[in-house]
Amino acid sequence: MKKSLLVAIGLLLTLGFAPAGNAADEIEVALLYPLTGPLAEAGGRIKAVYDVAQDVINNSYDIQGIPFSKTQGIPNKGNAKIKLSYYDTQGSPEVGKAETERILQEGKAKLIIGAYQSSVSKPTSFVTERNKFPFLCAVSSSAALTERGMKYFFRVAPTDFHDARMFFNFLEDMREDGRDVKRIAMVYEKTEFGIHAMKEVKKRIDGSGGVYELVAEVPYEYKATDVNAEALKVKAAKPDVIIHASLFSEMMLFAKAYKNLGVTTNANLSFCGGYQNPKFASGLGDTVEGYMGSCTFAADFIEKKAQLKTINDMYKAKTGMNLDGISMEAFTTLFVAADAFNRAKDLSPEAVRDALAATELEIATMPGKGVKFAENGQNIWIASTMSQIKNTEYKVVWPEEWATTPVTWGLRP
Amino acid sequence: MDLTIFLQLIISGLLIGFVFSLIAVGLSLIWGVMDILNFAHGEFLMLAMFTSFFLFAQLGIDPLYSLPIVVIVLYFIGAGTYRFVIKPLLGYTVLIALLATFGLSILIRNLVLFFVGPNYRVINESILAGKTFSIGGLYFSVPQSVAALLCILVTYGIYLLLTKSKFGRALRATSLDKDTAMLMGINTNRIFEITFGIGAACVGVAGGLLVNFYAVFPEVGLNFTVLAFVIVALGGFGNNGGAFLAGILVGLVTTMGGFFIGPEYKYTLVFLLYLVVITIRPKGLFGW
Repeated sequence: MKKSLLVAIGLLLTLGFAPAGNAADEIEVALLYPLTGPLAEAGGRIKAVYDVAQDVINNSYDIQGIPFSKTQGIPNKGNAKIKLSYYDTQGSPEVGKAETERILQEGKAKLIIGAYQSSVSKPTSFVTERNKFPFLCAVSSSAALTERGMKYFFRVAPTDFHDARMFFNFLEDMREDGRDVKRIAMVYEKTEFGIHAMKEVKKRIDGSGGVYELVAEVPYEYKATDVNAEALKVKAAKPDVIIHASLFSEMMLFAKAYKNLGVTTNANLSFCGGYQNPKFASGLGDTVEGYMGSCTFAADFIEKKAQLKTINDMYKAKTGMNLDGISMEAFTTLFVAADAFNRAKDLSPEAVRDALAATELEIATMPGKGVKFAENGQNIWIASTMSQIKNTEYKVVWPEEWATTPVTWGLRP
Repeated sequence: MDLTIFLQLIISGLLIGFVFSLIAVGLSLIWGVMDILNFAHGEFLMLAMFTSFFLFAQLGIDPLYSLPIVVIVLYFIGAGTYRFVIKPLLGYTVLIALLATFGLSILIRNLVLFFVGPNYRVINESILAGKTFSIGGLYFSVPQSVAALLCILVTYGIYLLLTKSKFGRALRATSLDKDTAMLMGINTNRIFEITFGIGAACVGVAGGLLVNFYAVFPEVGLNFTVLAFVIVALGGFGNNGGAFLAGILVGLVTTMGGFFIGPEYKYTLVFLLYLVVITIRPKGLFGW
């Protein structure tokens, strides 16, 4: 009796002092996103998609065109599993910076992935750059982020540059079809994201030799309580095309204000942001019928790439929603991390950074070949398409290569 | 400039101003009687919106019909807040109660975030949502017009309650001198509790209507809280009629200023107006 008691105590002590998990078998990635605060909804969707991506990498699914889906974990690192640790920015640049410092002090993560807003990605990546630690940006779209000469900063998503280029290629197509696109109104939130999107649009209008004209420039404060003045400014300018750089809450207010105030236009185009939130299409019904925006994933992509259905189903089981462009960019980003870990000679910040810089990952998740970073850290294999809301669903309407349905032209309240 | 646009600006400014007034009137009432600034006012608004939303989503009750339920629920939330949060702190400095409401606001917001989640929720198919009517090229949002109408009724109702009823006299007496009111046999605790309840019920009306044209999410109250404080201060702390007029003024300043000076400056203009007014008249436009 006494002996078995001693054995039991010995076992308990052994278990008690054993590490909680086999740390050597895990590679920790710190995820920096707004999990509370005004952008918690977006953060929650992104968290769900990272959990799906982690599941696909760590377990065997064998999805065609998705690397690491057949193997379990990171093959060249003894099949180590990816471990995700979430850090809450609350949507605030200051909190984001503090959390980044905490991640670096803890010293467990091998890579930081973040942050949702460009205005948070910017200061947090300054911290990582100063500490020579790799930062992989999934979805922030301000092109300025990759124009800072940083060595440790990489971005998977298309930028305002890509979206603006796509918008004007699209408008050029429409113009050649005889549609009115000359008069453009630009509505944007006064944040890093909005201001840079505006610059990209303005640059193209100024360089068009009079083909396009900026008839209204409407900046507004983020977290607006009403947007009547803004919508009336747009109405007074009688634009052919309205371009938005807005997040969900304000995008919804604008859509309602346009309807309430009888604003008519030929096309309403959105940079990534509120437009891409699936609630925008499903929740606002007729109010947003015909709205268009940049898109790296829409549910009808599955018609072109059937293997994406498995991922979409996994995500839908967690959120009740289809994947959207932002979620798919985040999904792809974790595979970029997995690929870098797999190729890195070790898991030191310098080695992971070098592996990221040499990335040439072919992955069938978004338009374009996959992910390859230019010297400035921007993914140059990415492409964007134009989607349009039709009967509360996002449908790809341009370019022809990806379109599943034709463009519907003209918005009337 | 197109006259239609100018008139539309005035109409839009007035309509959104009435909504601001409706949110601020309850806050003003609580301050006027109790000298307590309720920092959880924005969260009360959020709770009202969520109550209305869930009555619609779960039971199919249109926000217009569920408005009385929302008002009653918010009354009890307000009265409960007084009984369990404010009342135990009444013997201490006002700052303690103020901080308690601040803490309560964080607690409510995070409880909702935890239990309901951060998702945006939108009602787009109610009796009022998305409806507009047009007169001579001028557009009127139906939910905002109804909110304007109810704002006038609520403010007038509070005016009548305060000036014409026995309860109103007791309330004003308590507001002027709590100790003397107690000596006259007025149950001041009861008065405070009902006042807090009515203040929350007022924001219940606002939330029940706002749900028709605004997304519902845990942080929604924050967007309105600061404006509501400015409106109450502009109108004169505790002056409900003042808060009513200041709300309309803020609506007009944000809309007209946003259009003529620049949308990015519209809130700056409101705060500038606030600074100018409290510098010249520290008691606010209609304070005494």
